[in-house]
Amino acid sequence: MTFNQVMGKSPEPRSPALIIDEHGDRPALKGALDIRSLTDAEKLLKRPPGGKKVRAIDLHGLDALDTPGALLLCALRNDGVELTGVRSEHKALLDLICGLDLKPLSKPPPVSRWREFVTQLGKGTDEAWRDTLEIITFVGRSASALAHAFVHPHELRLASISRQVSETGVNALPIVGLLAVMISIVIAYQGVAQLRPYGGEDLTVALVAVSVLREMGVLITAILVAGRSGSAFTAEIGVMKVREEIDALNVMGLAPVPLLVLPRLVGLVITLPLLTFYADMMGLVGGAIVVNALLGYGPTQYLELARHAVDGSDLFVGLFKAPIFAFMIGVIGCMHGLRVTGSAESVGRETTRSVVKAIFVVIVLDALFSILFEKVGL
Amino acid sequence: MSANRTPHAEAILSARGIVNRFGKQQVHDHVSLDIMRGEILGIAGGSGSGKSVLLRTLVGLHRPNAGTVTLNGKAIEAVAPVDRASQIGVLFQQGALFSSLSVAQNIMLPIREYTRLPPSDQEMIAAMKLELAGMTADSGVKFPSELSGGMVKRAAFARALALDPQLLFLDEPTSDLDPLTASGIDAMIGKLNQSLGVTFVIVTHDLTTLFTLCNRVGVLVDHKITVDTLDHLRRSDHPWIHEFLHGPRALGAMEARRQSHGNG
Repeated sequence: MTFNQVMGKSPEPRSPALIIDEHGDRPALKGALDIRSLTDAEKLLKRPPGGKKVRAIDLHGLDALDTPGALLLCALRNDGVELTGVRSEHKALLDLICGLDLKPLSKPPPVSRWREFVTQLGKGTDEAWRDTLEIITFVGRSASALAHAFVHPHELRLASISRQVSETGVNALPIVGLLAVMISIVIAYQGVAQLRPYGGEDLTVALVAVSVLREMGVLITAILVAGRSGSAFTAEIGVMKVREEIDALNVMGLAPVPLLVLPRLVGLVITLPLLTFYADMMGLVGGAIVVNALLGYGPTQYLELARHAVDGSDLFVGLFKAPIFAFMIGVIGCMHGLRVTGSAESVGRETTRSVVKAIFVVIVLDALFSILFEKVGL
Repeated sequence: MSANRTPHAEAILSARGIVNRFGKQQVHDHVSLDIMRGEILGIAGGSGSGKSVLLRTLVGLHRPNAGTVTLNGKAIEAVAPVDRASQIGVLFQQGALFSSLSVAQNIMLPIREYTRLPPSDQEMIAAMKLELAGMTADSGVKFPSELSGGMVKRAAFARALALDPQLLFLDEPTSDLDPLTASGIDAMIGKLNQSLGVTFVIVTHDLTTLFTLCNRVGVLVDHKITVDTLDHLRRSDHPWIHEFLHGPRALGAMEARRQSHGNG
């Protein structure tokens, strides 16, 4: 079978197929012995139809020979088969290939499955432990840099910070607003549907207002910012690391934490509470739309009901969490950026980790805050 | 080097009237070039003279604004990808090894895609290509990120050889390498040209490569290419070519040429 037939098409045969002339135990190869005809040749030469072991092969009629073909011939020669009638143009090739000191590719040693499982578990635990330590260290370093900057405010890079505020905040307004409206529409619809059998549709307003202000507004905003800005921090700093720009900073005596990490952290800590407040307002608007459509309440009536349902602590609880989430998102994003090593592949890996970890931390912290505020009675 | 294989007077790849421009910037103005079977052709030129664009045009990665490229008499765009892959190999400047595959898997990828050889045969062929490129079979399990600069070039070389192409394009094969490693790469190119009869097109700044290895040299100046043997080019009265081949660095390369040609 020629190569072209293998590939399912049969235009102009570029090389004549391999033909084996039988002369007892001295067959002759004709045509082309290359990577395409290799399997056939191997079959025929190692197990000839006559059943007799091949002792010599005549290569006089061989038109084309490539390195895999030469490899096969060399293997035969090593098995004691004589190669006769080698054409002059194939001699150099055969000499080169036969002269190679071929060793099989080394393979990683096989590991039994349960052992691999234990190894993976151990590695994973070790990595998680190191990760935790690293986050704690980095939180400490960032907090100390932040504290230093507040004592020496002239060292804060206002231009950088304002650029971060615009990139992480202003540019995120449309998507945050849209998502907040959507989420509150979902809550309001569910509220009306679930509470109607008990005649408690009026409570929908309270449900929307309290859940948006306390939880959903800040949670949605933080998750979105983690995906949008946390990943950007990792990728930006990671690419700088790959291109040795961080090393260049270090050589100039400029530490990367105050220069690259601090503006991003401060920018995000300013932005996230503002974005959260904006998301809260948009969420209330979304609730108003649904309540108006399903229950027929006008805006004044909606606001009146909402005012009775919430008090200042609801808004405070939501906004209080925002800067803490922002700090953690920023720290995790920058930390993973600085962890990038060498390759572009590593930038992708660290970005994924940074986003997953930031969202995980945001949700865990949110759960802890829920318990804390319950105990405190807010 | 014994010259038991002299270049045949038959063009394996021809370019006719290649015009490339990007916006208002003219890169190539009717460049024509024949690559002869069995030769080692060097392509040189200053930074920004369009060497890499020419290489990309010749292998069919870039479609020129005008002009044609033919591979064995057939327009390069019309050659089926399977046939092109088995006739042309390219060694990219940074190696372009697939970072998620080990070195051996990099070499086996085209073999696996285009043939139905059993895995054991594929591995034997990969081990052979590694040896041909001057690496040991143990390095097959390594990943590209674990290789040094010279090893990346050799591994990429082994991958370019995977389907035994008759024509290999090398983009700066010796750049970023120390002189000893670079000489090793040069020696390997010479050996493969002699024993496998592979035709080489080498885009390079390395004067030693141009002086000791190449049968002919094409110099890209003023959007045109001048192709000739080195001895003829050294007599050229074009100021850039003269300066390029007679500058302080060319003296060392000339000395290397005398040594290698004297011994051969």
